[in-house]
Amino acid sequence: MQLLILAGIVVMLAIVVVVQSLQLSRLGKQQKASAATPKPVAVSEPTAAELEAHLKAAYEAKISEATQTFGTDLKGTSTRLSEQVSRLTTKVIEEELEAYQKTLEEVRHVATQAMEQIHQAVEHQRVELHQGMEAELAEEKKHLAAKFDAKMGDVVSSYISESLGSGVDLGAQMQFILTSLEAHKEEIRKDLLNGV
Amino acid sequence: MASENTQFELPAAVYSPQLLESVMYDIEQYLEWYRQTAIQKKVHAKNTTEEPSHSAETALVIEAWLSGKAATVEGIEALLDHLRHLKLPQVHIMLAALPNRAQRETLVSWFRNNVGSRLLISFVADRNLGGGIVVRTPNQIFDYTWQQQLIAGRTKLAEILKRV
Repeated sequence: MQLLILAGIVVMLAIVVVVQSLQLSRLGKQQKASAATPKPVAVSEPTAAELEAHLKAAYEAKISEATQTFGTDLKGTSTRLSEQVSRLTTKVIEEELEAYQKTLEEVRHVATQAMEQIHQAVEHQRVELHQGMEAELAEEKKHLAAKFDAKMGDVVSSYISESLGSGVDLGAQMQFILTSLEAHKEEIRKDLLNGV
Repeated sequence: MASENTQFELPAAVYSPQLLESVMYDIEQYLEWYRQTAIQKKVHAKNTTEEPSHSAETALVIEAWLSGKAATVEGIEALLDHLRHLKLPQVHIMLAALPNRAQRETLVSWFRNNVGSRLLISFVADRNLGGGIVVRTPNQIFDYTWQQQLIAGRTKLAEILKRV
């Protein structure tokens, strides 16, 4: 009996399941059919305007949000870029300045050396010139003194010659002449013998 | 004739080139006169010119040349030729004044005795010399004048003045 009841329950349940399956299958077919041939949605004008307004507001809000985000990003990027540029520029300037200072220092060193060399050369030249001038001056002084002595000798000898010229006595001179000739007779004889 | 005159020496009286020229001139004149006279004699013509006079030096030279032999035209011609070709060294002497005869003889004698007998000596005067003698030989000038000694000793004058 119980079996029968159970069997009856199972049969009933099976029938329910089959019915439900059929209904589901039918609904699925209906959905497919409806999907294949969509039905135009009929929207009223106020609804459309409201929807457009909503869409416009949403679009503008998105645009505004995107613009704000872009502006923020741009500002950050710009700030970073400025910082980077500033840092780079500072670094480059520092490097350039350092190189410039180094070059300047080298040039200054070379110029100082050159100046020292020039100074030394000028000093050397000055000393040489001074010594040369002193020597020249001494030489000139000596030369002038000798010239003066010679001139004075010439003047005196000319005076004596002129004074003696008017009263020449060869007889009185003959002994002096013969003595002079005697003292140099070998030279005279040699020259005459060679000259012949 | 020339062989007998190898020992010929100019007499001391003929000491200068000028005197030698004078002697040669005298001999030339004499030879000219002699030839002319000889021709006149040959043609018996009258002798128109007198025998030319000659200096004492010329006579001395001819005597020295002949050495006591008789004079011939050839001999005199040979003498003239010899004198023309005579090349003797010359000495020029400069004094403060021209020497007189005795002084010349003294100097010539000194040169012939001490330097060489075969010399010709000429004399020139320059009163600026003051005194002493300048001897100019073919290659050199030997200056023993007072002027030269004064010039050479002019530094002494300065030394003397400095010492004073």
